[in-house]
Amino acid sequence: MKMTGKAFAKKLFGAGYERLPRTLFANLILFWGLYNAGFRVQVAPSVRNLMISAFTAGVMWQALSSKDNAVEMRHMLMLPFRRPEYVFSYVTVLGAYTLLTKTGLLLAVLLAVSVWKPVEIIGIVVCMIHSVLMAAAVYSLRKYWYAGGLWAAAIAAVILLFGSKPWLPLLLFVNGLFAVLLLWKADGYDFYREGLRTSGHGWLSGRRNKKEAYSWENEKSHRAKRRRPAFLWRYFFRYLSCHKNYLLNTAVMWCVALELPYFLGEIAGLSVIAVGFAILSLNTPICILLSCDRDLEQAVRFLPGQKKAFCIPYCLFLFLCNMAADVIFLCSWQVQNGGVTGLAIAGAAFFALQSAVLSVLLEWFYPVRNWKIESDLWHHPRKYVVPVVMLLLAGAVSVWPALLLVLPVLLTVEIIILLSCFR
Amino acid sequence: MGEALLTVENLSAWYSDEKMVLSDFSFELAEQEVAGLIGLNGAGKTTFLKVLSGLLPTFRSDNIRFCGSPVEFRKQDFKLCRYTVFAEDNSFSYFTFREYLAYVCSAYGRAASDVTELIRGFHFEEYTDTLLKELSTGNRKKAFLITAFALKPRLLLLDEPVNGLDFQSTEYLYRQISGYKEHGTVLFSSHILESITLTSDRVFVLENGKIRQTFERGQINAADIREALHDENDG
Repeated sequence: MKMTGKAFAKKLFGAGYERLPRTLFANLILFWGLYNAGFRVQVAPSVRNLMISAFTAGVMWQALSSKDNAVEMRHMLMLPFRRPEYVFSYVTVLGAYTLLTKTGLLLAVLLAVSVWKPVEIIGIVVCMIHSVLMAAAVYSLRKYWYAGGLWAAAIAAVILLFGSKPWLPLLLFVNGLFAVLLLWKADGYDFYREGLRTSGHGWLSGRRNKKEAYSWENEKSHRAKRRRPAFLWRYFFRYLSCHKNYLLNTAVMWCVALELPYFLGEIAGLSVIAVGFAILSLNTPICILLSCDRDLEQAVRFLPGQKKAFCIPYCLFLFLCNMAADVIFLCSWQVQNGGVTGLAIAGAAFFALQSAVLSVLLEWFYPVRNWKIESDLWHHPRKYVVPVVMLLLAGAVSVWPALLLVLPVLLTVEIIILLSCFR
Repeated sequence: MGEALLTVENLSAWYSDEKMVLSDFSFELAEQEVAGLIGLNGAGKTTFLKVLSGLLPTFRSDNIRFCGSPVEFRKQDFKLCRYTVFAEDNSFSYFTFREYLAYVCSAYGRAASDVTELIRGFHFEEYTDTLLKELSTGNRKKAFLITAFALKPRLLLLDEPVNGLDFQSTEYLYRQISGYKEHGTVLFSSHILESITLTSDRVFVLENGKIRQTFERGQINAADIREALHDENDG
């Protein structure tokens, strides 16, 4: 158990666990900075507990689904191992990684800006550990996903409704023990997902068929019916459709686009419409195509003419995705608040294109490297640089609406310069 | 030996400041020859091919010339003259082989050539319209090899091309490499002695980032190369 845990821990925290003190120090600095800024908000314990639980469970699920972990695991599973020891060492390390490197950041922010009592810390800690255990237990029973979904929904409802009750930590503790029991019965193979690439060829393929093995990608066959010319568009859309989490994120953004006009219209009317466009540029997973696929990055750097051949279609693809959300947002705005003008439509096109251009430039010149597992990539601060820039631009446009006439001209100049450089 | 195609003088390459992977590496490739790189693990074969492919920026050299003119590995002119098949490659996994081939041909500005013979030779008929991500390691390797031989670049770089291939495809690959001299030059690395002795006009034995010994045509035999590798191991 010690060696299994050590192997995973070294992968996630670095050979000398150097990532751990670095992250904890960063969290401490963040807490100290925000706390001393004196900004305080009232957050209900139930909302705080639900936020921490949902975030922790989500990140833990991502870590469990990581393709990179699957590679590491394949070698571990090839060796003889004792079931509970293997499972608990794996879950413990991934849990520690989730709590210390991801939830720690959220906790630092929440504790710094909200009012809390020391005794509530016990509840928070219980919520965090409980979420890790529950995510692992549900993950190990993926084939009963409906039961897992119901269980998770029930717990979320309990936290939301009775989040401030003193008996909640006790309930979560008992539920956590149940999750431990499920993990005790779980097999190491339950955490392994044979990828599509090796399905039918891998040594585990005889153990479970494709339908049994939950996959992070849709398992539909992509056998093309006839010869068709190669367009990167097809590649991008296949890429999007094969990643459920990307599709989900896009769907969530579209839901946000539907709801956002209600909130923004209530606050300040048409002057903040640009803020909506900026928020809708937050579909960040599709903006890290090169960062998350190192082989693709190697290929586009090694093949000739890819600055233009790859970057322009990629930029247009991102523009289309952003614009789709913006169109939904504008339609919803028109239905709820009315008054959408031609300038607003031009603004949507500007924000969608500017966001796409910046995302592609960042991907080409500063792809995210040195990530350990995909979860690091999905929460990397670099991903949020473009949305932050767009929010700043939106803020400026809200204050000085005339900027919306100047910015498209600047964008046109920017694109002309880029096209001449990329030639 | 024919005219020099690629000349590299005193090349040094590194991944971190602490350790040079290649140092004082001098090398010349002739037009229309097949050259094999052989060496123990860590000798620097893959690193050298990565430098030539423009993927490793951390290197320096006194002189690099391609067809007699100074060249930069990341410049378009050089890129258009070479293609590399990597030992492991999962790129463009959402393309089918045919789409990938069309994409690469368009990147190189070439019309897609008829690959029927290559597909048949590598026993790849069943997989031409399957996404690359759904192919086994060996079949994915075949997809990249067929693309390489269809493209016919002036300089073809192959990193461990035999790995993952079945027996019949390996034999076919040997024939393709040997016959490539009609179109250009092949530089390939391999751990498999047979692949080198059966195909190469020259063999470079690498040791600790340097060329320890070169075998010219007529001198190439398995026993001598094996001895050179044993000496390297002992050294």
